[in-house]
Amino acid sequence: MTGRLRALLRLFAVQGTWNYERMLGVGMGYAAEPLLEDLKAVDPVRHGEAVVRSAEFFNCNPNLAGLALGATARAEYEALPGAQIVRLRTALCSPLGAMGDELFWAGLVPALIGAALVGVVLGAGWWAIAGFLLLYNGIRLWTGYWSLRTGMESGMRVGAAIGSSWLPRAIERVGPAAAFAIGAAIPVVSAWYLKPFGFSAGVGAAGVLMAGIALTRWFSPFLTTVRFALAAMILLLVLRRVGV
Amino acid sequence: MSELSSQVVLSLLVWGTLVGLDLVSVPQAMISRPLVAGTVAGWLVGDVEAGLRIGVVFELFALDVLPVGAVRYPDYGPATVAAVALGAGSPWELSLGLSTALGLVLAVLGGWSLQTVRRWNARAIQRRAAALAAGESSAIRRLQYGALLRDAARGMILTLLGLILASGIKERVLLDRQTAVALTLVAIGSALAAAVNGAVRSSGRKARLKWLLAGAGAGVLLAVLA
Repeated sequence: MTGRLRALLRLFAVQGTWNYERMLGVGMGYAAEPLLEDLKAVDPVRHGEAVVRSAEFFNCNPNLAGLALGATARAEYEALPGAQIVRLRTALCSPLGAMGDELFWAGLVPALIGAALVGVVLGAGWWAIAGFLLLYNGIRLWTGYWSLRTGMESGMRVGAAIGSSWLPRAIERVGPAAAFAIGAAIPVVSAWYLKPFGFSAGVGAAGVLMAGIALTRWFSPFLTTVRFALAAMILLLVLRRVGV
Repeated sequence: MSELSSQVVLSLLVWGTLVGLDLVSVPQAMISRPLVAGTVAGWLVGDVEAGLRIGVVFELFALDVLPVGAVRYPDYGPATVAAVALGAGSPWELSLGLSTALGLVLAVLGGWSLQTVRRWNARAIQRRAAALAAGESSAIRRLQYGALLRDAARGMILTLLGLILASGIKERVLLDRQTAVALTLVAIGSALAAAVNGAVRSSGRKARLKWLLAGAGAGVLLAVLA
């Protein structure tokens, strides 16, 4: 297995040692190990320094971490000054975090989940779930491969490589798709749940929905929807207990 | 739950552990999404319908979560597995409310346990600070494997606790039909509120909001035709 493939596989566990001090740092160091192996024979001192740098503070979306990993590994082989590599790593945190979060957490995941929910309600069952998993993981695997390759090919010019890549355009497109899919899923799922109960029960659930939206907005951030749900359930049980 | 065989309980425990690991640590393949976790749990207990119904409710709650940066959020994966164990074998109209209540408590507990594991990870790193500063790759590996083990234990304990609670609730808590249905309706209404909140917040006030409204229109049409 090549070092690059091992690094790609290790990137799937890049958040394994997530903590509030170094965040993804140690996970990045773990993924960097196979990429830095050849440096050990060429320049053992430099290798030691590179390993230290690889596990320092880092944070970004895990699916785009390969860009930073590849770029910094190449910079280590090019024997660039350590301070410059640290600056590159730090500079990549925010853009890779923002772009990855927009692309995956606010885009691809809700888009595919929305489609899967509609599929489940329309009777696709397992197929909808399998489709979600296959599509998401296919895209993610390809993105991980592309990220690592682009990072290693571009090194210190990784910023320009990201800017001219498909990423900004994909982010523009996936956001509306996510909004549409979730927008479509909510009424479809509502009908799926409420149809068997009849009209009056539907009105009751709609009342809870409206109260939930209003109260969690007024009393945010203290009153989350989870807290609202638990409070509403406890209130219901108390009211039933006293015979209301 | 009480009638589940030890083999099924064991498989739920393994599934809950994998689902707990998937949320953050490895491999983030989205098996921790409640829709997936619940449906597979339903299949394991022999009631896919319960798995789907409960999984979709928690998926709606999960739509209110945007896991960016250092944000703290509930862990719905093992919670969904335990909730399905509680709801399986009963008509979903009667069991969904109680299952959701159990799952939400476990999800909050799961979120808290995630913070605890993260603090333990930080302490482990501090203990190996000298080795990290010396550039020892073996220290990085040990930290990584230790953290993965901690998270796996977290998922397993959470699932086990959920299964024990589910068993206790199934044996001891008996709701009349009206209360059970009302609880289910509260669960559905709250889950929909979470989904709407999440969708509106993600959409903001720009073009994305128009797409959300267009999707809602298409969804209403689909719901009427389906």
